[in-house]
Amino acid sequence: MKITFERSGGFTGLRLAAEIELAMLAESEFGRLSQLVGDSGFFDLPEQILSKERQPDRFSYRLTVAEDGRTHTVEVDEEAVPEKLAPLIGWLTEKVGPKDISR
Amino acid sequence: MPPGRKRRAVYDAGSARQLPGVLVREEGGRAVRDRAVNEAYNTSGRMYDFMSRTYGRNSIDGRGMRLDSSVHFGVRYDNAFWNGSQMVYGDGDGRIFNRFTGCIDVVGHELAHGITQHEAGLRYQGQPGALNESFSDVFGSLLKQWVKKESAARADWLIGAGLFTRRIKAAGLRSMKAPGTAYDDPIIGRDPQPAHMKDYYEGDEDNGGVHINSGTPNHAFYLAAAAIGGYAWEKAGRVWYAALCDRLPPESSFSQAARVTAAVAGELFGRGGRVEQAVKNGWKQVGVTG
Repeated sequence: MKITFERSGGFTGLRLAAEIELAMLAESEFGRLSQLVGDSGFFDLPEQILSKERQPDRFSYRLTVAEDGRTHTVEVDEEAVPEKLAPLIGWLTEKVGPKDISR
Repeated sequence: MPPGRKRRAVYDAGSARQLPGVLVREEGGRAVRDRAVNEAYNTSGRMYDFMSRTYGRNSIDGRGMRLDSSVHFGVRYDNAFWNGSQMVYGDGDGRIFNRFTGCIDVVGHELAHGITQHEAGLRYQGQPGALNESFSDVFGSLLKQWVKKESAARADWLIGAGLFTRRIKAAGLRSMKAPGTAYDDPIIGRDPQPAHMKDYYEGDEDNGGVHINSGTPNHAFYLAAAAIGGYAWEKAGRVWYAALCDRLPPESSFSQAARVTAAVAGELFGRGGRVEQAVKNGWKQVGVTG
């Protein structure tokens, strides 16, 4: 499984972007991340989850998960993140460090 | 206009994402031990005073709305925002960012988003979105200049000076005087803001680059204010404020903003006068008008 995670916007406008190959992770991280992807029901989420009225300085996310020959991309506004997707975004935000900030 | 009354409330979100959190300081209440609480309280109060004494504005909605702020939102949250009814601040991750209440202009920026929502209502996408961002930087910077009693010539025109930790090579987050030069650092990269239309960001991230392209109208404001001289909030700021409140529609483009601010400058300070000319030159130098 491969996850691509991008975050843009926010007051600072600093962009976060990372590609995570799950096979390269330590076993505990592999297990946790696989579980978070599963719990989010990722492949059943709509491609766009947008807020009706954008709140100034909120983040925007774009996540892509590739697994067993299928790929799904979800664009989601921070203020519209579904409850079951929030833990995955939280984990990825923590995991993606300063080295992954790029423009 | 009757004088307004300042009312503030600060909440502690306690690292959760539920808003507003627990009420920890109200208008007239004593300082607490938590610095972020006192910063949100004090600086939102200064922004109220600035807008009231300079432009006769009674709070965010012009009708004395209470200024609500929540601090300690989320865990290591490296952001601040306006959620449509209140200001919200994160503590920063501590590696790249310090807490967001520590900068006067950040607080002013967020509160100004509330004013924009109640006035021009600039749509948060593309050019109107970049203008929305720019108005917040303008009034955030003017708040800092007003508090420090700095002329346009003396001000640093930086947004978020002190927001980065010492590990980051940065003067600030954005520079209105020289967009694209606020930071250049091995960890976070380079300031991407364009000073001129020739470098306009066309991508779809960040609602069409609202925090990137804001550099161009920011610079137009700086150029106008620097050419006029003196305190920037007195003339350039007044022109931008009047345009925001009375003239700009929600879908405004940069060129519309250029036309409107030039017209307002003429009405307020004399047609064909020095202020109008400075405003026109500002927009011309950044490539918005020919």
